[in-house]
Amino acid sequence: MAEYATKKLAQMLITVLGVITLVFFTLRLIPGDAASAMAGDTLSGEALQRLREQMGLDEPLFAQYFGFLLDIATLNLGETITTRVPIAELILRAMPITLTIALGTIVLSVLISIPLGTLAAYMAHKGKRWLDNALTGTAMVVDLMPSFWTALVLLLIFSLALGWFPASGQLNWSNPGGVALRLALPIIVLSLSQVAMLARITRTAVLEVLNEDYVRTARSLGWSELRVLFRHALKNAALPVATIVGLSFGNLLGGTVIVEFIFTIPGLGNLLIAGINSRDYQLVQTLIVLYALIFVVINFATDLVYKALDPRVQF
Amino acid sequence: MNYQAPVRTTLLEVRDLRTEFQTPSGTVTAVDGVSFSVERGERVAVVGESGSGKSAMAMSILRLLAWPGRLAAGEVRLDGRDIARLSEGQLNAVRGRLVGTVFQDPMSSLDPVMRISKQMIEPIMRNLKLNRQEARDEAVKWLGKVGIPEPERRIEAFPFEMSGGMRQRVMIAMALSCQPRLVIADEPTTALDVTIQAQIVEVLKNLTAEAGAAMLFITHDLGLVARFAHKVAVMYAGRIVEFGRVEDIFARPAHPYTQSLLGTIPSTEMLKSERLPQIPGLPPDMRKPIVGCAFRERCGAAHDRCAVEPPVLSERGPDHSAACWTDKGLTDSISLKPKSSARTNKPFEPDGSVVVELNALWKQFNVSRKTTVRAVNGVNLRVHKGETLGIVGESGCGKSTVARLLLGLEKPTSGDIFISGLAQMVFQDPSASFNPKMRIGDIVAEPLVVKSRGAKLERDEAVRRLIGQVGLDASFIERYPHQLSGGQRQRVAVARALALNPSVVVADEPTSALDVSVRAQIINLLADLKHDLGISFVFISHDLLTVRYISDRIAVMYLGEVVEYGAAEEVFADPRHPYTKALIDAVPVPDPVIESRRSSVPLEGELPSPLNLPRGCAFASRCPIATDLCRAEKPTLPTHELSRQVACHYAV
Repeated sequence: MAEYATKKLAQMLITVLGVITLVFFTLRLIPGDAASAMAGDTLSGEALQRLREQMGLDEPLFAQYFGFLLDIATLNLGETITTRVPIAELILRAMPITLTIALGTIVLSVLISIPLGTLAAYMAHKGKRWLDNALTGTAMVVDLMPSFWTALVLLLIFSLALGWFPASGQLNWSNPGGVALRLALPIIVLSLSQVAMLARITRTAVLEVLNEDYVRTARSLGWSELRVLFRHALKNAALPVATIVGLSFGNLLGGTVIVEFIFTIPGLGNLLIAGINSRDYQLVQTLIVLYALIFVVINFATDLVYKALDPRVQF
Repeated sequence: MNYQAPVRTTLLEVRDLRTEFQTPSGTVTAVDGVSFSVERGERVAVVGESGSGKSAMAMSILRLLAWPGRLAAGEVRLDGRDIARLSEGQLNAVRGRLVGTVFQDPMSSLDPVMRISKQMIEPIMRNLKLNRQEARDEAVKWLGKVGIPEPERRIEAFPFEMSGGMRQRVMIAMALSCQPRLVIADEPTTALDVTIQAQIVEVLKNLTAEAGAAMLFITHDLGLVARFAHKVAVMYAGRIVEFGRVEDIFARPAHPYTQSLLGTIPSTEMLKSERLPQIPGLPPDMRKPIVGCAFRERCGAAHDRCAVEPPVLSERGPDHSAACWTDKGLTDSISLKPKSSARTNKPFEPDGSVVVELNALWKQFNVSRKTTVRAVNGVNLRVHKGETLGIVGESGCGKSTVARLLLGLEKPTSGDIFISGLAQMVFQDPSASFNPKMRIGDIVAEPLVVKSRGAKLERDEAVRRLIGQVGLDASFIERYPHQLSGGQRQRVAVARALALNPSVVVADEPTSALDVSVRAQIINLLADLKHDLGISFVFISHDLLTVRYISDRIAVMYLGEVVEYGAAEEVFADPRHPYTKALIDAVPVPDPVIESRRSSVPLEGELPSPLNLPRGCAFASRCPIATDLCRAEKPTLPTHELSRQVACHYAV
């Protein structure tokens, strides 16, 4: 396992380096340069030149690249261009919020979808398809609803009309109840599509495993249906489900940007939107690398989980 | 409650068992009123072809049928309890504890993500009320008994770390470890090589006998039945058509189906000039209700009564019953032999010319930078015109690689291949080798299209001729593969192979996926083609009886080498290489008298890994007579001699 983890870790570092390189050079591909794009028509030639120097754009490309690498490695992330706030500080404030939303969504959707999918599969296996059909039908309807739309509807009903959940206001970590209320709706919105997908994946995986010979073997040994389901069927079905949970994290990160915007939550998503609006290249660039880093770490974790679940996995 | 039931000897009693499958196209009655009983310690074989209901019947006994299967009616009395009426909880106390089960496919029957220890120990703890350490000792003991080396260490292995034979041993250990009274074995050796099959059968037989357990053994292999069973139940279309002691069933079969089945197996006395007796037609479609006797359309003894009234089992002797309205079934006057059993037309005259020659052929596969699989190691072979060369050996011996090299599907690492004319192929699984969206006519014409032979009209003409040549009528040209039975599909595969007028046809296990009653039809077809057209065949199979019947010469392969070569009859009658001997010994012969006389010491061990081959004789690690000479020096074969050749220092 340790050897496997080391190898995966090395692969992960290479991926991160690749992402950083890609982000850096893609941003350099825009016509003109970052400074002129930022300034638009507002700055004259001399002022623009000063901005370039300030951003380090006058240095040779590779010097800029290695400087960027060094900055990231030493967490010297610079300041925002307009308000002169250290970017590291902004990220440190926003990241826990976004991660709470994302992880909360994963936990909630796994807790709902796996029992639901398993039950549907089990009943279908026994020839009772109604739950299976209901689940597939509902999942399809949920999939048809875009998350920005469900977000708005839930906001209208539960925050504005019923007033159950606050729609705005500060997030104060010393008041966990308040944070929970504030983050509940975004998590629910994101969980809807996650549950729809994961429940279907679980259902298919479990149904397939229930038809495997080793499940019949377990039954032939006299194990109860519950034990067959949990010890054999779920354990084997967990393999594809774990993969999908890991992969769906990427979608989820994209989803947080939308819900944070709609529910005005000061997370990474809103920070990114602010950065784009103020054409703050340093901030956007750093956030993209951060998103990539989170994604790669989650993939790493998925690989480890997969290895732990399936002894057959080699490198 | 002082009353004690009298000692009963019947362990399992099945009465009027009916098993149904609800399918979109109607109810299939897979098992239709089956009754039989198994005495304590008795081994009963259930024989039948696919679709005969033998597995559904066995699974019904434990109510292990998967939906949409359902135990519709009947009684299953095991040790006095009626299984059909037990609650799920009571049933779980029977499964594993009173009845142990061994399934067909060892590769998929063990949980892939669980260690053997976990899969074995917990049932023992539950069923025998032992603590974890005691249960572990018990599991290790059983693993040792079934012949797993280093059981203390191997018990911690995952299934994927074991070979198929080893996994089946684990299954047997699992089934026996809870000391069941009855073991149900559903085709336990079908997925294994003959030598491994012989080992597994021996283990099952000895250990159940030792434990005093009875066994219900489901198989389609009549040879295994003869080796193994005390009693036999022959099933056809969901019913038992004959039941009796193994000696009676083989010596005095009373039902025409049993008689035909026994007749279709190539026997040692049979002349090659004679065609195999074959059962015409196909088993009935079980989705439709069967009126009268299900076998009547394929039966030479059928008469009016058979069409209206299904026959019931009636006494034919002590412990022997058959379900047939005709007293003795088929007799000499109503024989099952085809009318022209000897071929009357003039045979093709071989002129001794060489069609295929393999010279010092080597093939290595580089699996990774470090490991190389040595699949074929210096093979020299010749096939003459109009001759059939049989290649036999365990899986992994390189026989299929030789076939692929011959067809140019692989490039040899070294050595050369000479083919006069064209080589074509017939595969094991005809359904997998056809495009399901193509009509039969297009499938057969495909080689002609690929090579742009002839205009459309000429090709249509050729397809009609080829379809006729393999014994199908022209209506098949418009059909799709899924509308054909396995045997018909294999005929189409042969027709396609013949399309380009090949000089040699390579047939890799062409009859292995077919049922016994259909197998003879395909063997006859291939033999007829050789007889009439003078096509040479390379016939690769693990079915030694078939190879013996169809081949003129035989090459026995072991670890990528030919270890014995010679005329088929000579090799079988007098095998000289210890491996050939072991291989022939491992094959069960469908005759209980012969089987009871044979020694039951199967070849030990498994095929060594082709990754690192031994320096000396490849077979030395398993050979009963190997010496230091064998381990040091490799025996060789002379090249391209027609006479008998044996690669053994001690060949007699």
